Amino acid sequence: MDQYRVKKIIQIATQTGKIMLQNGAETYRVEDTVQRMAESRGLSEVNVFVIPTGIIISATYNDMTISLLERVNPEGIDLECIDRANAFSREFTSTEMTLEAAEERIQDLNSPPRFKKWIRVLSSGMGGGFFVLMFGGTAIEFLIGYLASSLTVLWTEALDNKHLNFFIKNILGGFAAALFGVVFVRFIGIFDLSASINTVIIGPLMTLVPGVSLTNGIRDLISGELLAGSAKIMEALFIAIALAFGVGMVLQFSLKFIS
Amino acid sequence: MIYVAQAFYSFLSVVGFSVLFNLPRRLIIAASLSGMIGWLLYFYFQSIQTTNFILPAFAGSIAVGLVGEILAAVKKHPATLFIIPGIIPFVPGYGIYYTMLHIVEKDFNSALTTGAESLFIAISIACGIVLATSFVRIIRPNLEKWLTKKAK
Repeated sequence: MDQYRVKKIIQIATQTGKIMLQNGAETYRVEDTVQRMAESRGLSEVNVFVIPTGIIISATYNDMTISLLERVNPEGIDLECIDRANAFSREFTSTEMTLEAAEERIQDLNSPPRFKKWIRVLSSGMGGGFFVLMFGGTAIEFLIGYLASSLTVLWTEALDNKHLNFFIKNILGGFAAALFGVVFVRFIGIFDLSASINTVIIGPLMTLVPGVSLTNGIRDLISGELLAGSAKIMEALFIAIALAFGVGMVLQFSLKFIS
Repeated sequence: MIYVAQAFYSFLSVVGFSVLFNLPRRLIIAASLSGMIGWLLYFYFQSIQTTNFILPAFAGSIAVGLVGEILAAVKKHPATLFIIPGIIPFVPGYGIYYTMLHIVEKDFNSALTTGAESLFIAISIACGIVLATSFVRIIRPNLEKWLTKKAK
């Protein structure tokens, strides 16, 4: 095995880890996967260090040490990607897959099948709308929550292609969520119906709010990944600040001008 | 009756979020069931005991973690796939948002209260899941033996 092949093994392992990390896998799972993949092809002294924004790996073969740093930008949660990368890593470690075939498979991992756009929009409405009911909303608040959540997801997905800074993106998301809520509540006011703005906004915000990253961060802290855990918690905190900025703007304006 | 309604709402809500998280289609029903069980436990403990806010989230997340790990063993997929959608109903997302909103509104007392509350809810969820995961890891060899015996 020459130096070229050793390098390729490390690259394949890191790329798989990168796909898992980008789409929201836990830190220990990424470390474990990358390490197993590298060790299964005869590399020794494999050390992997994973934080939410990067992967560092170093491995030894025939007294020669190679290390690689891969920068990662988190992209949100995509469980299909994690599932596929996990299945691929198992296949890579248990069979004699050639490195060239493995590289081709990695290209496919990057573009998993997604639900059609209208299904995503309708079901995000479902996610947000039923949340309003779980928090004791009325039927009319459910309908508003449903519409506002669908529109908010449509809006944030349109923003995804613009490559905005995550802070700005979340300010705009929170702004839109609150705006749709306020506008609909004012609109039904014409027909003498009333709905509580606070209850209505729960729905669309649940699609944006970083509850999962906060919980995952604390899970990392508990399992001893202190650096990765702190980074995730800080991310959650700043997403929450951005959302509050966006929502706060709308609420201040609506208090002043509309009512 | 209210439990039936809550079960229905939480099930559909988790289905919605599973699609948003792009969960593989054939796992959506299973993940939503685990979310529903977790939320029903959360709801039950919340209705009998209003002063303690840690117990509901802790009990709910233990249930989600156990169901998720068992489903992972049965269906041969990573447990995260069932746990992330499952904890969605009681994750303190709304709490941290509210904390920040109070800060924007210069209401620091409420911000501290809601902030501490949501931090401890998040910690209890994480503890519950880690506890369930470690427990299943101990019994997993036996579980898998039982599953293969059943398959034969």
